[in-house]
Amino acid sequence: MLNRRGLTTALGRFVSWTRRDLLSLALAGGMVMALMTAPVRADKLEDGAAGFIKSVAETAINSLATKDTDRHERIRRFRVMFNDNFAVRSIGKFVLGRYWRQASDTEKAEYLKLFEDLMVISYVDRFAEYAGESLMVEKARSESENTATVFSTIERPGGAKPIRVNWRVGTNGTIYKILDVVVEGTSMSNTLRSDFSSIVRRNGGQVSGLIDELRAKTTALKAE
Amino acid sequence: MIAAMKNCLFHQFWRRVLLLFAGMFVVAGCALPPDPSDSGAVTEFLQINDPLEPTNRTVFEINRNLDAAILKPAATVYRTAPEFVQARVNNILSNLRSPVIFGNDVLQGELKRAAVTFIRFFLNSTIGIGGLNDMATALGIEGHDEDFGQTLAVWGVPEGPFLMLPLFGPSNPRDAAGMVVDFMVDPLRLWASSSDRSYISYARTGIDAVDLRARNMDVLDGVENSSLDFYAAIRSLYRQRRIDAISNGQGAATIPAPSMGELPDGPLLSGAEQLSRR
Repeated sequence: MLNRRGLTTALGRFVSWTRRDLLSLALAGGMVMALMTAPVRADKLEDGAAGFIKSVAETAINSLATKDTDRHERIRRFRVMFNDNFAVRSIGKFVLGRYWRQASDTEKAEYLKLFEDLMVISYVDRFAEYAGESLMVEKARSESENTATVFSTIERPGGAKPIRVNWRVGTNGTIYKILDVVVEGTSMSNTLRSDFSSIVRRNGGQVSGLIDELRAKTTALKAE
Repeated sequence: MIAAMKNCLFHQFWRRVLLLFAGMFVVAGCALPPDPSDSGAVTEFLQINDPLEPTNRTVFEINRNLDAAILKPAATVYRTAPEFVQARVNNILSNLRSPVIFGNDVLQGELKRAAVTFIRFFLNSTIGIGGLNDMATALGIEGHDEDFGQTLAVWGVPEGPFLMLPLFGPSNPRDAAGMVVDFMVDPLRLWASSSDRSYISYARTGIDAVDLRARNMDVLDGVENSSLDFYAAIRSLYRQRRIDAISNGQGAATIPAPSMGELPDGPLLSGAEQLSRR
């Protein structure tokens, strides 16, 4: 509410426009325009991310759900799928946290290879459950200009409560990659980060210690 | 005479268990804080928030042995029961928890959720025949869980350092206190202990433990199988589950996640192409 004096001042301001005023008006206008166009782009990101997760589920059904294929072949297929659809390097780097910087280039390469191996072997059987026939994409929400969360549920037999699975998806404009899978509030990337950094700490802060344990783990899992 | 001896032995057993746990706290002690000049390590130490880590790890190992010897075999046998039976048992246990959930809904000011819990309890106890059938869910009234640890969190009580409790597993001072309060005010327990039927409480707690273990069998096996440090993974998972439970499943945006900054490192290759480059 403007009182009389306030009103006069406002009117006074209105008639005495300076160039700076005009410039800020133009800027403000530009910002309003940007805000008006932003939701459209967010919509596009959300639709793109949701469509991407649906297509990942379809691929999973087609290439992994067949239980009769032998384990070797399923691992091979899942390795291709994992590299196609997950931002493996981004996740690997995030999981190593502050120890990424202190690792040598050879250690980084070795670590990423073993990390990918561990993910493929330990998720080959579970992934078909997460992204199988019972996956229902419910909605998507943009989190930043190039990331979005896709909310989905997995129906379970016997009327048990469906499982909530959120997919954090990133894009560079053309392709989409999965950055994180959050099952009932528990994030794969964050759990791995706690797990791996604990191993590095217990090995005196040496990434080489983690690499040794990763190698032992993947070898043991492959032998199963 | 024999009964008295049995009683004495029983007491001796529990005294030993207590002494064992007390002794562990003295022997194992605390995690050493890092060099204060290493800011990255200090931040990490505070984030992990597990000053009793060596003790907690010892308790975790004892819990795992007890689990392998008693709870896991019991849960494995239980899982061979028809799914129909398991679902009925779970329904009864869930229904018995309703009064405590209702109380916590109210204390958190979640009156809509409190109404849902109340209606569910009424429907399932009556037409659901004492909770045997979850009629409310069949009618589209879905249930939820609450406990006093979550209520304390909603009231602004911090979780405190991580704690691995003997028998009960991962926790923290806030959730441990909440567990005690929920136990104390539970109507079934109050009724059973006041009418000299404490065995009902014991039986219910035992079945609850087996049911919970059975339902988490695959998840826990998976975590144990794929993790390098099972303890660290469980600690992280427990905290994430609690944050999710406290926010009633609304906390997705606040979880830190990998960024897309690394994409230019060869994102335009397909998975097969990336593999063939090896």
